[in-house]
Amino acid sequence: MRCFSRRQFMLQTSVLAAAACVTGLPAASGIELIAKTMNASPAQLANKAVELLGGMGAFVKPGQSVLIKPNIGWDRLPEQAATTNPEMVAAVITLCRKAGAKKIRVLDRTCNQARRCYSRSGIEAAAKNAGAEVRFVIDSRFKSVAIPDGRVLNTWPIYKDVFDFDVLINMPIAKVHSLSGLTLGMKNVMGLLGGDRGEIHKGFAEKIVDINTVIRPTLTIVDAYRILLHNGPSGGSLDDVVRKEVVFASRDAVAVDAAAASLFDIRASTLDYLVNAEKRGLGSMNADKSRFKTFDFRA
Amino acid sequence: MRRARQISQLLFFALFVFLFLQARYPYDARLPSEVFIQASPLAALAVLFAQKAVYPAMLIAVPVLIVTLIAGRVFCGWVCPLGTLIDASDKLFVRKKRPAGASRRFRNVKYVVLIFILVAALFSVQYVGYFDPLALLWRTFAIVLYPMFSLILFALFQTTFQIGIFDDAVYALYDFAQKTILPVEQPHFQHGAFILIIFVAILVMGAPTRRFWCRNLCPLGALLALFSRHRFLNRVVDESCTQCGLCTTSCRMNAVSEDALAADAAECIVCGECVDRCPEHSIRYTFLSTAPAKIDLSKRRLLQAGLLGLTGAVAARTLGLNKAGENSLIRPPGALAENEFMDACVRCQECVKICASTGGCLQPAGLQAGWEGVWTPIAQMRQGYCEFNCTLCGEICPTGAIQKLALPEKQKTKIGRAVFDKDICIPWAEHKDCLVCEEHCPLPEKAIKFDSRSVKLPGGELRVVKLPYVVENLCIGCGICETKCPLVGKAGIVITPMSNEQKAAVV
Repeated sequence: MRCFSRRQFMLQTSVLAAAACVTGLPAASGIELIAKTMNASPAQLANKAVELLGGMGAFVKPGQSVLIKPNIGWDRLPEQAATTNPEMVAAVITLCRKAGAKKIRVLDRTCNQARRCYSRSGIEAAAKNAGAEVRFVIDSRFKSVAIPDGRVLNTWPIYKDVFDFDVLINMPIAKVHSLSGLTLGMKNVMGLLGGDRGEIHKGFAEKIVDINTVIRPTLTIVDAYRILLHNGPSGGSLDDVVRKEVVFASRDAVAVDAAAASLFDIRASTLDYLVNAEKRGLGSMNADKSRFKTFDFRA
Repeated sequence: MRRARQISQLLFFALFVFLFLQARYPYDARLPSEVFIQASPLAALAVLFAQKAVYPAMLIAVPVLIVTLIAGRVFCGWVCPLGTLIDASDKLFVRKKRPAGASRRFRNVKYVVLIFILVAALFSVQYVGYFDPLALLWRTFAIVLYPMFSLILFALFQTTFQIGIFDDAVYALYDFAQKTILPVEQPHFQHGAFILIIFVAILVMGAPTRRFWCRNLCPLGALLALFSRHRFLNRVVDESCTQCGLCTTSCRMNAVSEDALAADAAECIVCGECVDRCPEHSIRYTFLSTAPAKIDLSKRRLLQAGLLGLTGAVAARTLGLNKAGENSLIRPPGALAENEFMDACVRCQECVKICASTGGCLQPAGLQAGWEGVWTPIAQMRQGYCEFNCTLCGEICPTGAIQKLALPEKQKTKIGRAVFDKDICIPWAEHKDCLVCEEHCPLPEKAIKFDSRSVKLPGGELRVVKLPYVVENLCIGCGICETKCPLVGKAGIVITPMSNEQKAAVV
């Protein structure tokens, strides 16, 4: 049982403050590697991608707590490609456990009713089997957080676990989105936001970058095992789904999104929010081949 | 005997509460939440009278009648959860002993209520839901007591999360509560105050006179009283009786005669109080045939009650606030055509309760549905939506007012249609992109589509904006667009009702 001591209070407060300060610095210097794996099962793709980046030990130290944020937004089956692949989530949890994580929690603020989404997406069952806690989001755990570098937003309610946990792993599924063009890692952190999220959609390209200055995933793993080509983000028709069997992973949230855009024949430079994010030092879109570590299971 | 009866009351009450809490997603139909309402012979009879057809699921009320024919009003004494609550609340009221010869003059009112309900039902105006004790109690639980309970739980969780102690354990507990007893979020229902007042009034009536409601007003009690006139389970007093009068004064139904020897077969609920209280142990219940109980209802009173029912029916139609009611409401998917729906619905709020665990669009109606439609379920899409993958309201409806639909059928069932309010919708009114409605549209083909057009900004600059529109033959009116519209207050897209003919059009 944990007791809430003064020391702990100071520690948590300073972590929050630190998280707020870090945003002032350019986090990714543009030399972060991007792993790309192809043509295998969801678990194999994720395992190999993490391995290419130096293994989970590079991100999770023994005894650390890990928050995993897949996309569980919709009451859809995995085959409908509106939510992150459950096997991939389970594989990443297993990697974290092997790296010595003491606590792994999985959650998302859903669009449809949470219990439906958690269950139909298959993520609840898969994540529990793999040894993670799966938790519903509750309003009273959103804390208003200052966004010192915000251009449009100065503050927004964000889930407190984001700051209480040592490591945040962002696991979006790659989908088209009628407003942002594509929904990938940077858009996926919206599932950690409280308040009236509809408001983010107005002036999306600046607001989503503002949010990403305070929510900085340690690692982003883009699930492109199946991708949704039309009628995203909620989809529904299997005709709109293509099985690509690809995973991208990187510390650099901008680079990994830019790389994943290639699957849709969309130039990253046409995605306003990515352009803004790069300008504001959140990462680098530069898809220089030297940055890629690629592994094709079929090759 | 009293102890056995109390245990029975407690068990049935616990079952009632359990089945109430069970009315949530994911719903286990093997533990049918609707069974208490279906077991009410009054509700079954009123629905039968209004619909002029038998709804098979409500035939489980027949065994209740058979038991009553044999053993009298044991349902009232041993089963009815409202009766149990009335008995339990007795402890709250300090009361002098009933003076001998206490009045029995209100006793016949319940027959008047019964006849009023049944006559009105014959004329297709359904009042039963307001009086049937089971529908009444379900409604009170759903609209008043459960939201109070969940508010307290949510507040407790909020406080502990704020303090931060045992955070992981409390969060695990919250997760468990969310899966078992808590609603998705705190529900807000209109008309809770009225429903609460009625419930409290029924309990408080018991302050001067025990079981006042059951003796004098309950129409289900009246119906069961009629059936128990010829009962075989009767109270027998042997010669050791000293006529001390303790049984007469302690009877909660005031069913025992002044000489302590006879009990009114129509009123006695076999509670066993007299058996246990009798200092001489002179009283027991045994199976024997006696002369039928007399119900002292004059022909004039009968006629009055019938006329009252007729007037009630006519009043409901003429004093109804809008004639357009039929086409002004959004009913749950699978609801019968409006007239038949009104015949079958007993206002129990089972659908409202279970909807709150998924999309959360259903509300008890106020006067929107006219005088006769008060507390029938209507969808209000600004507060919640009709979940695309959900068929629960039809599964749980006790009377078939909402039909069970298979999921593929439900996903094609139109309950209304979306229309844009272009004066406030962000892309139309402000010339800025917004897609929240389209993003949430659950139809695979999307019933909301965009028309990209060049618009002129105040500075004369041109900008291409995606202007949304509704594809009418795709839209089923689920309303998630209205729920999620980011405008504050009025939504930029709203669900409007459709006529039966429009609803019937093929998707």
